[in-house]
Amino acid sequence: MRAVRTRLWSVGALLMLMTATAFAQDLASFEKRTSMRKLANGLTVIITERHDAPVFSYATVVNAGSAQEVPGITGLAHMFEHMAFKGSDRVGTSDWPAEQKALQRVEEAYAAYDKATHAETGRDEAKIKELEKAWRDAIAEADKFVVDNEFATIIDRAGGVGMNAFTASDLTAYFFSLPSNRFELWAFLESERFRNPVFRQFYKERDVVFEERRMRIESSPVGRLLEQFLSTAFMAHPYGFGTGIGWPSDLHSFSATDAANFARKYYVPPNMVIAIVGDVSPTEAWPVIEKYFGRLPAAPQPDALRTVEPPQTAERIAILREGSQPIYLEGYHRPAVTHPDNATYDVISILMSTGRTSRLYKSLVRDKKIAAQASGFNGFPGEKYPHLFAFVGVTTPGHSNDEISTAIGEEVEKLKKEDVPADELASVKTRVKAGLIRQLDSNSGLALQLASYQTTFGDWRELFREVERIDKVSAGDIRRVANETFVPSHRTIAKIESTKATAAPKGETK
Amino acid sequence: MRSVRNFTLACASLMLISSAFGQATSVNDIKAPALRAFSMPQPKRIQLSNGMVIFLQEDHELPLVRGSALIRGGSRDVPAAKAGLLNIYTQAWRTGGTTSKSGDELDQFLESRAARMETGGGVPSTTVSMDVLKNDFDTVFPIWLDVLRNPAFRQDKIDLAKTQANTGISRRNDEAGGIATREATKLGYGASSPYALQAEYATIGSITRDDLVAFHKQFVHPNNIIVSFIGDFDSAKLEKKLKDTFSTWARGPQAPKAPAGVTPAKPGTYFIAKEDVTQANIAFVHPGTTRDNPDYYALQVLNEVFSGGFSGRLMQSLRSQRGLTYGVGGTVGANWDYPGLFRASMATKSGTTLESIDALRGEITKLTTAPVTPAELALAKESILNAFVFTRDTRGKALDQQVQLEFYGFPADYFVKYPAQIEKVTAADVERVAKTYVHPDQLALLVVGNEKDFEKPLSTLGSITPIDITIPEPGGSAQSKAAPAAGNADGLALANKVAEFVGGKAKIDSIQSLRRVGTMKAVTPQGEMEMETNSVMRYPDSQRVVMTTPMGAMTRVISPGAAFMITPMGTQDIPSSQRESIANDLKSELISILKNIGNPKYVFTAGPAEKIGGVDARLLEINADGAIVKWYVDPATGKIVRGISRAGGPMPGDAVTEYVEWKSFDGLTLPVAVTITRNGERAGEMHVTNVELNPTIEPDAFTKPPAK
Repeated sequence: MRAVRTRLWSVGALLMLMTATAFAQDLASFEKRTSMRKLANGLTVIITERHDAPVFSYATVVNAGSAQEVPGITGLAHMFEHMAFKGSDRVGTSDWPAEQKALQRVEEAYAAYDKATHAETGRDEAKIKELEKAWRDAIAEADKFVVDNEFATIIDRAGGVGMNAFTASDLTAYFFSLPSNRFELWAFLESERFRNPVFRQFYKERDVVFEERRMRIESSPVGRLLEQFLSTAFMAHPYGFGTGIGWPSDLHSFSATDAANFARKYYVPPNMVIAIVGDVSPTEAWPVIEKYFGRLPAAPQPDALRTVEPPQTAERIAILREGSQPIYLEGYHRPAVTHPDNATYDVISILMSTGRTSRLYKSLVRDKKIAAQASGFNGFPGEKYPHLFAFVGVTTPGHSNDEISTAIGEEVEKLKKEDVPADELASVKTRVKAGLIRQLDSNSGLALQLASYQTTFGDWRELFREVERIDKVSAGDIRRVANETFVPSHRTIAKIESTKATAAPKGETK
Repeated sequence: MRSVRNFTLACASLMLISSAFGQATSVNDIKAPALRAFSMPQPKRIQLSNGMVIFLQEDHELPLVRGSALIRGGSRDVPAAKAGLLNIYTQAWRTGGTTSKSGDELDQFLESRAARMETGGGVPSTTVSMDVLKNDFDTVFPIWLDVLRNPAFRQDKIDLAKTQANTGISRRNDEAGGIATREATKLGYGASSPYALQAEYATIGSITRDDLVAFHKQFVHPNNIIVSFIGDFDSAKLEKKLKDTFSTWARGPQAPKAPAGVTPAKPGTYFIAKEDVTQANIAFVHPGTTRDNPDYYALQVLNEVFSGGFSGRLMQSLRSQRGLTYGVGGTVGANWDYPGLFRASMATKSGTTLESIDALRGEITKLTTAPVTPAELALAKESILNAFVFTRDTRGKALDQQVQLEFYGFPADYFVKYPAQIEKVTAADVERVAKTYVHPDQLALLVVGNEKDFEKPLSTLGSITPIDITIPEPGGSAQSKAAPAAGNADGLALANKVAEFVGGKAKIDSIQSLRRVGTMKAVTPQGEMEMETNSVMRYPDSQRVVMTTPMGAMTRVISPGAAFMITPMGTQDIPSSQRESIANDLKSELISILKNIGNPKYVFTAGPAEKIGGVDARLLEINADGAIVKWYVDPATGKIVRGISRAGGPMPGDAVTEYVEWKSFDGLTLPVAVTITRNGERAGEMHVTNVELNPTIEPDAFTKPPAK
């Protein structure tokens, strides 16, 4: 613990040297309030003190997302996230021994039913019906022991707010905020949900997740477009499994047993980081954290993903022809976030997209009025592995995707051919620094940032070092990276071409 | 290596310590200590003599200063015919720059300092906000002030805002969830309510720079503004700066109170067909209540039972137990100064649409039939009370609360007393408010989906009202189509006030015809021309006017069967192009309009107030079956002080009529002296000397004489 603290000081000092003014001092003071530990089982915990009010927020980040899925279990990382609200052997049950047996019978019945439905030859419909009934009967039996939503109810009752979770391509995060007198309750529940998660009501929840797929993807033009975009842009890497919500066949098939296997592999202490921000005294908190999170059994770090997306050699395009209005997307492959050029990509994104002085806004939105929105951004769909720098353009009435494509192309060419003027680059850097300060404002936002950076980079301080690296990006770096990246044969385009495009209203500037 | 070993040792020793504590194996074993007492610093309140209120909240954690001017007047104060004005106004306010700097110059200046400055707005208000690094405060503050007081609304940025607004209109039917939310709001408030107005290409097209300038002029006065600052500053210094800046600013007209205007759709089932979806969106809606209602606290408990967190009834029943939906929610809504809506909504796969409607309706009905259990009541109250600390856990939230209370005229200790009010709520209270504010028989049900995939036809629920959400085409006839749908209750009230002033509904209804005799003076390019006039109006659609000029008499007749002029040169038909404009004049004649209050083809929309000749007159826009006329009405008396009508015939520009004098004739009060200006120039005047109610009319007065 002492060693960790020493290092903090040195980072603080470095930051003070790096940028003068009060700005760095505030970051340094922020770092003084932060401490980190790795428990014996490998779990990393970060605490940042902020004592304005008796509340705290936390985020648990698991270094596993939909990129850890393989065909047959797509959507399972997200499915597990839903199950992590269903309780444990101690929370959410009226009689655990009986429920445990009943849940085993559900899995046996489901395995038989699932096998019969997927039989490649000799499919027996009558038998399938019978097996399905046996499975549903087993569920009804197991449901008798369920105490509905007990896990969430305890948190609601304790005054919890903002309880939620998300599954991204790279990681899964869980978070909420509680009054600070509930710290021990939190430590109990948060460790309990990962100590022995129980997959009760799994198949009901699978229906809920399928509704989420219908809402986000199937019934939404943007969702449909994104699914096509990603599955076109990646041919080997799991980033191409659509949007992470899972393919319909897998969502209809995977089992609680599959989910348990996934959790056993990836939900292990060395693969998890918890960040707590708020009215927490580290001297009082550490023993409580050790006591509860120390219960998570030690397990090895899961193997890293092997598959790497091979270089793209041919331009790809996906066109959705439908009744909704046009949208244009194009993406270029770029290296992972840990690559030394990452800061340059960040600068390009801000230069192109952030604010009313950004190049795409000025050209496409303000002057040409062909787009209501236009931006270029990193981290799509994730950032841990090589991913896409993507451009999006939303047409205004009477204008087309082709005009958007051409106008984006002009701006990209400018990046490749001309040095970014010094004042424009300086403005970007100033805004990055201010943006970091503004990020430090909310407990919950900060907790998520700290845990995510610790997970992705192995060090939460990267959150601050990023600013330092961006400060060093030169006009030459931008030209070099733009020339390496924005190559037509590395591009994937996806767009909605409307079958009912709207004309420009009368008197509209063309 | 060494530090790793130290680390492990440290961990081992800590584990020894922790084993001294008992490890809980059940939630019940964990005792929470009492929450430590704390007081969040409250902002300082300063009131200037011109009515402006200022709040200052120091917060030295980060080197930032954020400020905002909250200004009364929002989308609910926009006339229906200009729906979308607030959107254009708040965009062009910032992007259109100030009288001294263009918006693009502002962008450059601000972004190079990482400063943010935005204008925005909502139903009741608009804002001008800034967010700067503390060292830039002194350079950015004057710009914020300039934006607040001297916006230029440059035309190129108005055009840009219109393009953006039209994009929104063109895309509003793409996402099913968006359709459901929007259309449910319209059902709950009524489509013509100022709380549900929807912009169309035509209304956006009609918005001019003058409209934006007028809106700014109407509302941006110190007595309508609350200024607030939070951040790393010295309060005493900033207080002085703000006082020096704002004290000399003179008061202006006070913004009107929240308009009425909730006319919900009839209970029943409404359906919107959407083919490219696999889910149906379902929403139940009816009007809710306001926050000053003493039942508000019991309603919050009810809402928590119904759909608080994951433990509320809706999540438990429809998601966890039945797996029907991902998102479901429902509340009895309460806004600060206008009614909220009761809403319950969800999305489910097409094949379980009817099942879900049934289940959701069942949960709504259960609120009124199955009172809360003691366990539900306890959970709901504990959840609200324990989470209450999050409503004031930052200095920013403490500031926002005070600004909000000031804006809506609530006591400053409202939130201090809030927990005690929740504490007091009993099961009987919850049962009572459920029965008072939830009305299963008054619900409008909206379904957006792909009916061919529903498990049974929607018509099994009874009669279905389809809603056509086709976007009225840009240009063309959209304007005349769109306008009559709108209107607001304030407008109706104002029209009734005018009717009262003129003689009351019974008197007006008793008028079948009206003769007016007087003189008219017209300014023509050849000079002033005076004539005597004698006009007979037979309601609703016939008029005979005799004008006697030095050159001779001229008669103009219009009726459903005929439209002609008799001049010294003979009789001739009035060309059809002019007939329409005369017909419009008839529709928008004073008594005609007043007779048609309640006729759906006559739409009355109250707009902002304006000072006219010492009177705070309120704008009343009237769409009289397609003819547009504006009145400025003294809301206290119902007297019309000014009228504006679109010029008929070849004359360009609007005709502005000043009503100089009114006189009563046998119980009917009519204008007897008016002056007319066009494009700011005097165009003429009229005097009425004699009026006859229901005069005897020659049988052939409106018939064209046979050709000679």
